[in-house]
Amino acid sequence: EFHFGPCHVEGVALLELWKAFGAMKDIVVTQDKIMSVRLLKQEVFQNVSDAESCYLAHELLKFYLHTVFKDYYHKVVEFKIMKSFSTLANNLFVIMSKLQPRQENETVSIRESAHRRFLLFWSAFKQLNTEAALTKAFGEVDILLTWMGKFYRH
Amino acid sequence: MPKPTNITFFSINMKNVLQWNPPEGLHGIELTYTVQYFIYGQKKWLSKSECRQINRTYCDLSTETSDYEHQYYAKVKAIWEANCSEWAETERFYPLLETQIGPPEVALAASEKSISIVLTAPEKWKRNPEDPTVSMQQIYSSLNYNISVYNTKSKRMWSQFVTNHTLVLSWLEPNTLYCVTVESFVPGLPGHTQPSQQCVSTLKDQTSTLKVK
Repeated sequence: EFHFGPCHVEGVALLELWKAFGAMKDIVVTQDKIMSVRLLKQEVFQNVSDAESCYLAHELLKFYLHTVFKDYYHKVVEFKIMKSFSTLANNLFVIMSKLQPRQENETVSIRESAHRRFLLFWSAFKQLNTEAALTKAFGEVDILLTWMGKFYRH
Repeated sequence: MPKPTNITFFSINMKNVLQWNPPEGLHGIELTYTVQYFIYGQKKWLSKSECRQINRTYCDLSTETSDYEHQYYAKVKAIWEANCSEWAETERFYPLLETQIGPPEVALAASEKSISIVLTAPEKWKRNPEDPTVSMQQIYSSLNYNISVYNTKSKRMWSQFVTNHTLVLSWLEPNTLYCVTVESFVPGLPGHTQPSQQCVSTLKDQTSTLKVK
């Protein structure tokens, strides 16, 4: 299960996500020709506090599901990787929907800190043309899963 | 001129060695190779002077790829006299994910009916022998172990999952050879590890030898 600070998520086997992404990685990453840009830079995840992690995970997963996965689907069909793609997307959807980050006043500063990290990613995404940005973001799911893995308890 | 082939990183405990095969169809020709590497998200290809115009088909890039949270590319080209091939390039290499975690060190101590097991995680590669030692446990804080125990007399085997470094196996049979296989793994990471195996015999049952006297 995941422990993103106060947010606990059970019932998702991270290894299944890795297997799903592993089956797609070579196809997807070789499509990314822009080596000089990394969207999920180290600064996005550097020293994320436990308290922040729930907000950041929720915001990143929401963006991935509602934008990256949605708009990249035509490529998934083209590359014939629908099965692995749906395993990955469905599991990430379960995690996102179980993350219930608190919204009280005293969490404002933590939320803002997590949002600034998300904006680092988002602004880099916006600087690329859409197709290249979607391909790059999808190819960086291993960076996202590696960070999420730090909050995973066996 | 054809490119080198099968260019990949071979990585264990963060020792990251680039290796490749000579270009096809050029056996017996005295080729040299030049390597470059790229840090994903940065701006340009970088050279390693020790891997410029070399005869061997490998290049240790451990120092250049030591920040394991970064991702890298590498490429190599073949050179023969005035000719040189196109670059052959690796996939994106992610040390944190792709390095193999070597076998743990396993210390066994047996008594009549028990075996105590002490595990030590392997050491991370280091540039100089005098550099401070870093354990792979410090990189993968949730490094766990799966211990399988095989009774060579009864041919029975059982396994146990261990999160810390010591385990005592009790209620064993005296004077019996037991083989212990230890595999480390990181929950939530698809890494590959190398198991280690050791065998030890429990001591003879002292009480039965006293009766005989």
